[in-house]
Amino acid sequence: MEASPKVALSPGDLLVELKGVSKQFPEVLAVDHVDFQLRRGEIHALLGENGAGKTTLMNILYGIFRPTSGTVFVKGNVASIHSPRDSIKLGIGMVHQHLKVVEPHTVVENIILGLKEPRYVLNLMDATQRVKALAEKYGLPVDPNSRIWQLSIGERQRVEILKVLYRDADILIMDEPTSVLTPQETKELFASLVKMKEEGKGIVFITHKMREVFELSDRVTVMRKGNVVATLDTKEAEEHTLARLMVGRDVLFQIERVAVKAGKDILAVDDVSALNDKGLQALKGVSIRIRGGEILGVAGVAGNGQKELTEAISGLRHTTSGHVTIDGIDVTNRSPKFIFEQKLAFVPEERMGLGAVPSLSVADNLALKSYRYPPYSRRSVVDRTFIQDKALGLVKEFDITTPAVTTPAKFLSGGNLQKVVLARELSGRAASEPPKVIVASYPTRGLDVGATEFVQKSLLKYRERGAAVLIVSEELDELLMLSDRIIVLFDGRIMGTLLRDQFNVEEIGLMMAGHKSAGGKGT
Amino acid sequence: MKLTLKNVRLVRRTEITRQTSVLISVMGVVMAFAVAGVLFLLLGVNPIAAYGAMVDSFTNPILLANSIQRGTPLLFAALGLIVVFRLNFWNVGAEGQIVMGGIAATGIVTLHLVSGAIPDLLVLPSMFLAAFLLGALYALLPALLKAKLQVNEILSTLMLNYIAILFGNYLVFGPWLDPAAHGFPNSRIFPPEAVIPSIPFIGGSSGFIVGIVVSVVVYFIMNRTTFGFELRVTGDSSKASKYAGMSYTRIVSIAMIISGGLAGLGGLVLVSGIIGRMKEDFSSGYGYTAIIVAWLAGLNPLVAVVAAFLFGGLLVSGTTLQVRLGLSSSTTNIFEALILVFVLASEFLKKYRVIVGGVE
Repeated sequence: MEASPKVALSPGDLLVELKGVSKQFPEVLAVDHVDFQLRRGEIHALLGENGAGKTTLMNILYGIFRPTSGTVFVKGNVASIHSPRDSIKLGIGMVHQHLKVVEPHTVVENIILGLKEPRYVLNLMDATQRVKALAEKYGLPVDPNSRIWQLSIGERQRVEILKVLYRDADILIMDEPTSVLTPQETKELFASLVKMKEEGKGIVFITHKMREVFELSDRVTVMRKGNVVATLDTKEAEEHTLARLMVGRDVLFQIERVAVKAGKDILAVDDVSALNDKGLQALKGVSIRIRGGEILGVAGVAGNGQKELTEAISGLRHTTSGHVTIDGIDVTNRSPKFIFEQKLAFVPEERMGLGAVPSLSVADNLALKSYRYPPYSRRSVVDRTFIQDKALGLVKEFDITTPAVTTPAKFLSGGNLQKVVLARELSGRAASEPPKVIVASYPTRGLDVGATEFVQKSLLKYRERGAAVLIVSEELDELLMLSDRIIVLFDGRIMGTLLRDQFNVEEIGLMMAGHKSAGGKGT
Repeated sequence: MKLTLKNVRLVRRTEITRQTSVLISVMGVVMAFAVAGVLFLLLGVNPIAAYGAMVDSFTNPILLANSIQRGTPLLFAALGLIVVFRLNFWNVGAEGQIVMGGIAATGIVTLHLVSGAIPDLLVLPSMFLAAFLLGALYALLPALLKAKLQVNEILSTLMLNYIAILFGNYLVFGPWLDPAAHGFPNSRIFPPEAVIPSIPFIGGSSGFIVGIVVSVVVYFIMNRTTFGFELRVTGDSSKASKYAGMSYTRIVSIAMIISGGLAGLGGLVLVSGIIGRMKEDFSSGYGYTAIIVAWLAGLNPLVAVVAAFLFGGLLVSGTTLQVRLGLSSSTTNIFEALILVFVLASEFLKKYRVIVGGVE
């Protein structure tokens, strides 16, 4: 019955050992001679910034990539893993950051998908019973007969975990599992993981959040730029040490935030509804007011109307009802150009391909919206010299690292690309016209600590200059740090509003899961 | 080393120097000639003699004039295509737009001959204007269909070719049939005031000189104007274009007006500078060959001048090969296709490096 031969192993035995593993991609050495061990009965956190090589390393173990050099041992034997099929046979399971479930199918169908047995007769009843038993045992409640599209993201993730357990995996790789979860769901997930660990399974937990390392893990391995910089017992680790190992320098955990006296209402969104790309109602009567000098944070699990809200404000998406005004001017369903001219800065979620044009130079990308106004162009003829000079200035001001302003944007790192978008949006049509409204979607996603700090400081700076700022983020810590107010979006509606002195993670978490705010005041 | 699929790898190039890029292009054309040489051998023709006949297209003064002549409609159509191809709008309708340009020019001439309403001096200018406008209007239709109703432009432009060609044939078989042509499907012969003069000394339609001027104008539009900027942004990412506040309908319309208008001028050159009247199926594939010219030029309007001239020579070579070596006229078509395939392959090699078992 068992797919993998059971070897008698006691807790503490090595489940996985990677020795000198490297992975060379065309331009980068993503993983550089890495040693890594996973013991039976431990949760091993793999900590590092985006691009440190954590996911690549685990993808090697799971068989998605083949290592350029190095050896993989699984349960004491040299393993030659060519594909996930091989790794599943060895008892390895991986839950990816982006869930890979088939939406129209049921939970059970998804779980048995790809299994070799049973070969001819599908006995869904047996499978359903087993899924139910597993769900109960590990505290992963989900109805085996529901269809995936009916489930929340958190439930879908449980399906992925059950899928791995169903295949008797005893090595579980979780790739940033909490990024899509509410705080409550995260707690439940952690409880399940602890149960699995106590049973003798080994779990690799990929994360870039310090808090989770301390809450959950037994050991922690820190990666930076493709190298393992340290492996420590979590008990003996200190937050500041880990941060320094991860980033390579000391990190400030708080950035300065001065009190600003808010001015009059600048951005007003009144009862706005909009459809998503599938034509379904994604925004259901949302009303927001933001005053000059104020930051409104929008919390919520991704896909609850955040994208539609920012696009409705910036003119990229038609609203089906409601009004948007900027400083008293009705901009509802006006063109993105008209709204830009009302001094709206929009830092979109999708940087490459929307916020920036990959093959265009950094200079042209910086002029992407202002090219049609003097002095960028006169009588339809662009002034190349001005665009270059302007770009040189912005590159300096925003500390953008690029070989030249003529370098195509596609060669820039994520952080520098975001700085290009930010520089363009914040500088507006001309330097003398700061934006009135700033809409920033996931402004620090995927950025390293330095760039994150820079982006956050810039947003605060423009708040001090009197801009009305709306920030959508999945990083609660970031919203708590920057916002004057936080609203929570769930299923296209605002669940509640919290003022800065009422900020409460527990309550925000409940609202993210769809509970209406009890004490929060509406605005 | 054994060459198997397993030890061949493709690696994406991050950057490419100008020399490498040019070298790959030249190698592509050389390879096309080499493969064509094998083809000539198979057909029982000495490749050297065949190549010689081709070289003659550029060295023999009469053939050279011919090469310029036939390169002219290609140049106009290719310049227009370069503009829309930059937008990632796949206009394969240059053929139809050429025909419409030819029809417009012939219409003016017919009107001039039948009613005498147009003074001699204004005949050529009105032909230019009419050819540009009709070609542009004909190209605007698929642009609007795409922008407003998301109709695939490859299908719409291709279909419109057949409509244009059959409409042109209807005209020369019916209303515009030359009474003096003994029933042959021809329009009236263009009078001298409706014929584009030849280039002094060299020969060949002076339309080519106009084409060179137009190529500089197109280069300027693409690289120095706000419209050119919008073209590049929209061609690379339509989402970014919308985000930057650009109107797709406006951009695609202007691009197709330029594209169709220039193809229309190509049609004018064809009837007025080369044939001297409108005939049944008079374009015979210039609009499709122009697609190859545009790509061979790497979508650079200045390079297109050279590419169009070379392809004009290639068309002339086809005739020479037929007459001198008794090869079928479809040999030229095969040759053209070979060049396109190798040009596309070299575009690919500019993006990827091929590595066989660890060595390049």
